[in-house]
Amino acid sequence: MAIAPRANAVREDLLRVEGVTKIFDGIVKAVDNVSLTVATGEIFALLGGSGCGKSTLLRMLAGFEAPTQGKIFLAGEDITNLPPYQRPINMMFQSYALFPHLTVWENIAFGLRRDHMPKAQLIERVESMLSLVQLTKYAKRKPHQLSGGQQQRVALARSLAKRPKLLLLDEPLGALDKKLRETTQLELVNIIEEVGVTCVLVTHDQEEAMTMASRIAVMSEGYFLQIGSPDEVYEMPNSRQVADFIGNVNIFDGVVEEDESDHVTIRSADCLHYVGHGISGNSGMVVGVALRPEKILLSKEKPAGTFNWCEGEVTEIAYFGAYTTYHLKLKSGKVIKAQELNNTRDLSCGLTWGDSAFAQWSDLAMVVLTQ
Amino acid sequence: MNSRMINWFSQSWMVLVYIFLYMPIVTLVIFSFNDSQLVTVWSHASMRWYVALMGDGDLISAVALSLKIAFFSALISVFFGVFTAFCLNRYKRFVGRTLLSSMAATPLVMPDVIVGLSLLLMLVSMQHWLGYPERGLFTILLGHALLGTAYATVVVTSRLREMDSKLDEAAMDLGCQPLQVFRLVTLPLLLPALVSAFLLTFTLSFDDVVLSSFLSGPGYSTMPMVIFSRARLGLNPTINAVATVTIVVVTCAVIASSFYTSHQERKRRREVAQAYSDSNK
Amino acid sequence: MNNMTNYLRRFFNGRHLVIGIPYLWFLMLALVPLFIVLKISVSEMESTSVSNMVSWSQGWPSIKLNFASYVFIGSDELYVKAYLSSLNYALLTTVICLVIGYPFAYFMARSPKHLQPMLLMLIMLPFWTSFLLRIYAWKTLLVSNGVINNVLMSLGIIKLPLEMMNTPFSLMVGMVYSYLPFMILPLYANLSKLDMRYLEAAADLGTSPLKAFWLITVPLSKAGIIAGAMLVFIPAVGEYVIPELLGGPNTLMIGRVLWDEFFSNNDWPMASAVAVVMILLIMLPMAIYNKYQSEQLEPKP
Repeated sequence: MAIAPRANAVREDLLRVEGVTKIFDGIVKAVDNVSLTVATGEIFALLGGSGCGKSTLLRMLAGFEAPTQGKIFLAGEDITNLPPYQRPINMMFQSYALFPHLTVWENIAFGLRRDHMPKAQLIERVESMLSLVQLTKYAKRKPHQLSGGQQQRVALARSLAKRPKLLLLDEPLGALDKKLRETTQLELVNIIEEVGVTCVLVTHDQEEAMTMASRIAVMSEGYFLQIGSPDEVYEMPNSRQVADFIGNVNIFDGVVEEDESDHVTIRSADCLHYVGHGISGNSGMVVGVALRPEKILLSKEKPAGTFNWCEGEVTEIAYFGAYTTYHLKLKSGKVIKAQELNNTRDLSCGLTWGDSAFAQWSDLAMVVLTQ
Repeated sequence: MNSRMINWFSQSWMVLVYIFLYMPIVTLVIFSFNDSQLVTVWSHASMRWYVALMGDGDLISAVALSLKIAFFSALISVFFGVFTAFCLNRYKRFVGRTLLSSMAATPLVMPDVIVGLSLLLMLVSMQHWLGYPERGLFTILLGHALLGTAYATVVVTSRLREMDSKLDEAAMDLGCQPLQVFRLVTLPLLLPALVSAFLLTFTLSFDDVVLSSFLSGPGYSTMPMVIFSRARLGLNPTINAVATVTIVVVTCAVIASSFYTSHQERKRRREVAQAYSDSNK
Repeated sequence: MNNMTNYLRRFFNGRHLVIGIPYLWFLMLALVPLFIVLKISVSEMESTSVSNMVSWSQGWPSIKLNFASYVFIGSDELYVKAYLSSLNYALLTTVICLVIGYPFAYFMARSPKHLQPMLLMLIMLPFWTSFLLRIYAWKTLLVSNGVINNVLMSLGIIKLPLEMMNTPFSLMVGMVYSYLPFMILPLYANLSKLDMRYLEAAADLGTSPLKAFWLITVPLSKAGIIAGAMLVFIPAVGEYVIPELLGGPNTLMIGRVLWDEFFSNNDWPMASAVAVVMILLIMLPMAIYNKYQSEQLEPKP
């Protein structure tokens, strides 16, 4: 359900992070020499597991932490040493941090009052924010009188009220239950698009990053593994770590046998791979062949040809409703996963535990990982 | 032992402890309405000792002094308690942090006689060098405020610990300078804790006899000092009357405030439940 | 991750002021006075009048350390006895409070949730009313023509009044009575947080309730026991008001000795020396308590 990224032509860079490093207590390297640029109007996601440094990076953008090294520029201006209350950046906090002693209205007006905005303009701005997030009738309530989804919208309105140049979202959907997430996600993106604000969001949920962001940076141990659009990161991971982190993947270890400009062949323990594009490498090189489970077709008949199939025994079947995942144990002992869509009501390929089955895939389904 | 026996045992244990705790208080109240000169032998009900209390100038001026000292020492205690709690809670590392936390915890357990003696000797030497302060109201106030600060620190700290530090960050993110964060977010959220710290330190001061005895000067007798000197000499029905008055006032205040807080809590829970069921419609 | 400190260190210029205010306050009123006590305890004692204060105002170099007071404390049987019996009474008070308070706190923590605030308030309530008046009330109960004796005699249980007042018994009643809430409150705070699933897990693994209590509840409530015990023991060692009102002339406690040295004998160096030795005696329990307390004051991780 990816929301198509906004198709804009040339955009200028709004945020530029140059070689930022954060070391805690002189030893713990939370963020390690990270650089990135975010263009105006973009939604940029920092994706990674807990402790990967994504939150620290976000907190440095907000101004709560000072980088040990490196610089941060916003619209060409160096903001590295600016305190948070002087940055034209606002943040929507994880679990919202709404002020419990203030009403919804006062929460939204809080930042505007700090800028001494004239009263008439302030009222108008708060009202427009309330209607933007459809909470006009809840204006007088206190945060605890709202449901989780409503609180999330107040938090969004509060962080947008000052019309920040950059909006930071810290796990924006983390506090909501699964069912509420999907609708809220769409709502959130729609509002952000309507306002047209540039966003940096932090999440550990790859689905959230893929659906909301126009670009994703996959982080691990303080540095970026890969930066790219959601489909790039998913379909063309640049390393085993990224392939492994984003979605499910089967990785075959193999050796390049034939290295041509338009194709390569790779031999692994269980099969021969024919990859329909060239790679930057040479024959004899040890590589990994990444293959997503949903790109595998299972059947009981042996496929024709020598390339891109293998045989195994079904050891596990997990039914997910829309699709079913099969575990196939290959001759070498390696287990691969294959996902089959359940496009009819009887379980399609009729495989059961202990059956021997053939997995096959096309020559454009694989990604060769050289690192 | 079966569970009924355990229940029976636990309930009677609790009842006995409550009897132990309340027996002296109840007797005190009952015998304040006793007509007899003898505090311990019941003759018949009368308001005699309350009338005597009204005419007891020493005691009344002592009560007035005690109230005055209690009020100001509670104010000072809360003021310094907030600072101490804030430092210990929000600054994780600074030179002498352990020293500060130990100093703040010390008056809680240090025997009163030592606190009183040491403070007095310090004040006397100060007076010797600076000619100030005279022993009297101010010195008693200082002693009570020291003790009160230690208690206020505990009360405020426990509230600060519950508070989400993300709220401070959110305020800063929206344009608050540190002092504004404190004034607009931290302080309003601390308010209930400040009220209970004030009440606690007020009663501590109102109750103290040892520190006051060390620190007071001629002409400054607090209510506990007067009661103590009379109680040392023997039993005195006027004390029962004073006791009853304070017990009634304090009990009413404590019960009222606990009803208020539990009412607020119930209301809040209802509203939270309401918010969730509304949004699921 | 959540490192406010770093941020504040850079931007909050008032930080030193904020730390400085309470620091100065406690230094002046809690630490400096203790050093003055220490200093006076080793000062010359020319006369018993206030004028002897001059002798130590001439500055450090001119002061001859004088350990006469300490020598006297060590050699005079009265002081040694007073210290020992203070420790003895304080220990006894602590043990009795624990024996009464632990089951109470435990039952309170296990009683129905909606009743607990009420039960807690009932423990707190005497605590809010004057301590002095409550001790005075025990006097009216315990004297030989007091309420307890009168009731017992009118019921015919005893013929002659019991001599309860001005004995170690009346002292212990007063001490336990005053300090019991200080034992119950930390124990309750600790026990009410105890996760019942531990006990369920223990029962599930075949442990009897009594054994589960010893193996799980008691070890897990160690922090509460330590806090409660220290909160009772330390002030009890130096207690003055209770022995003065309930203990009679013959109960010896060090708080009273200090008081008499100061108010009756006007011997300030001696009173200071008594205080210093008392501090040394309670130093260890105090250190244990401070450690516990500063853990409580730590910000949440």
